[in-house]
Amino acid sequence: MNILEISDLHMSFGSNQVLRGLNMAVPEHAIYGFVGRNGAGKTTTMKIVLGLLKAQSGSVTVCGEKVSYGSARTNRHIGYLPDVPEFYGYMRPREYLKLCGEITGLPAAEIKSRSAELLELVGLAGVNRRISGFSRGMKQRLGIAQALLNKPRLLICDEPTSALDPIGRRQVLEILSAIRGQTTVVFSTHILSDVERICDHIAVLEQGRLALAGTLSEIQKQHRRNSFRIRFAAEEEGRAFSQLAELDRPGIELELEGRELQIVSGDDSIGGQELIDLLSAQQIAPEKFEAMEPTLEDLFTEVVK
Amino acid sequence: MNHFFVFLKKELLEYARTYKLLILLTVFIIFGITNPLIAKLTPDLLANFMPEGMTVTIPEPTALDSWAQFFKNTQQMGLIVLLLVFSGVLANEISKGTLINLLTKGLSRQAVIAAKYGAMLLVWSVSVGISALLTCIYTVYLFPGDPVSHLIFAVFCMWLFGAFLLAVLLAASALAKGNYGGLLLTGCIVVVLFSLNIIPGAAKYNPIALAARNMELAAGAAEPPALYPAAGITVLAVLALLGLALAVFRKKEL
Repeated sequence: MNILEISDLHMSFGSNQVLRGLNMAVPEHAIYGFVGRNGAGKTTTMKIVLGLLKAQSGSVTVCGEKVSYGSARTNRHIGYLPDVPEFYGYMRPREYLKLCGEITGLPAAEIKSRSAELLELVGLAGVNRRISGFSRGMKQRLGIAQALLNKPRLLICDEPTSALDPIGRRQVLEILSAIRGQTTVVFSTHILSDVERICDHIAVLEQGRLALAGTLSEIQKQHRRNSFRIRFAAEEEGRAFSQLAELDRPGIELELEGRELQIVSGDDSIGGQELIDLLSAQQIAPEKFEAMEPTLEDLFTEVVK
Repeated sequence: MNHFFVFLKKELLEYARTYKLLILLTVFIIFGITNPLIAKLTPDLLANFMPEGMTVTIPEPTALDSWAQFFKNTQQMGLIVLLLVFSGVLANEISKGTLINLLTKGLSRQAVIAAKYGAMLLVWSVSVGISALLTCIYTVYLFPGDPVSHLIFAVFCMWLFGAFLLAVLLAASALAKGNYGGLLLTGCIVVVLFSLNIIPGAAKYNPIALAARNMELAAGAAEPPALYPAAGITVLAVLALLGLALAVFRKKEL
């Protein structure tokens, strides 16, 4: 079942067309990495999903219910963590969570127990000072706690790690990983290593549409090219091998850097076995022979170039 | 309704913790205590500052002088402090993005407008109420037996004018960008209202009358019905301004 469905979404700001018929489906319990360049329209999409922005056309459903601009009805299913969450600095974390709980309509006893549980989860259980004295990382963690307060079925995080130092980033990613299986997470970012680390589904937004979508392994499979890296014992060996007539074929790209030769065969012009046979025929014993999977960065670069 | 009370509580906590409440209460308590004192001491002070040999007859101060001080201080400094303290009441939250979390949790925009106005009105009511009560106690003590007419209605008119200004400020804060945009717009609207008095017959309906004719009421020179048209227009204007603030806020993309 898809918890979030977006179809044919269009949105522009003045002459800048940000979304051009975006279609997207987020399966339940996924940790969904929503990737795109800065300004690609990730935040715009999320704000439309939250009913904070009005799309020019298209539709959005959350848990099967249509999202309407200005209405918070579908937001009862959603927890939202903005990129830089803003709080009332004069409040303490528990007071802020109490305010959020009262707005959500949770009973007082549940607000108390849930606040304690979430503050423990985000590592702020012992913190009772005013939020104005919090670091960015602490605010981000409190942001996660408030977003999870009403046990949302969908947690939307807008670039939650982009403004954090490495320790803060790791803490936020660990918290998001910890709720895997309980809540569906849509996680927008342009930090690809974060996506690779915790996301099981990935979508790349480019030119207002999804340029890539699926699980990382599916996408890698779809975009797999025969790509190999060979490290030779000596530079001359590598040079000689790269000049072999068998490798001088259309569709084969060679890149020699020192002792390392990278071979990319876009249309299956050459396979791993053939390369091993060639090495053997030349009586070359390489130090390393590696069949390479495209990384998310390779895929992203390919899609957005 | 629940959202209204939850947000009202949050607003009042904000006023308490950011010293807004303290500033307003201090200013209005000082006014309340000093209004009768200034009225009582002014003739003596003037007499002391007169050059030697000059004789000026200063009438004996009365309770009316004390209330004149109350209305003058409230209308001038009091309302200015009130507007300064609450400037950017909505614009500040919109620009900072503090409302996003709460709106995505289901807080209605109607509750935000109603609670913000309700909290400001409550603080204004308490402030002006305390100031009037203190002025009343000291006036009775310092000027016992002096007659004052239509006092409650005269204070009510001043309160209603403050309530009107707060509604103007809220609507202006929804319309204008930034902290002081709303304050500037409110200032412009007050200037326009003053200018309207040039039109013959307009003064009777102008909300400005509520803050300008209080002493006429207290001195018995005007009867309450003379201010009913202005009071009626002001109440309607408050409702219209709150409607405007809500309509503008509903269209704001956050």
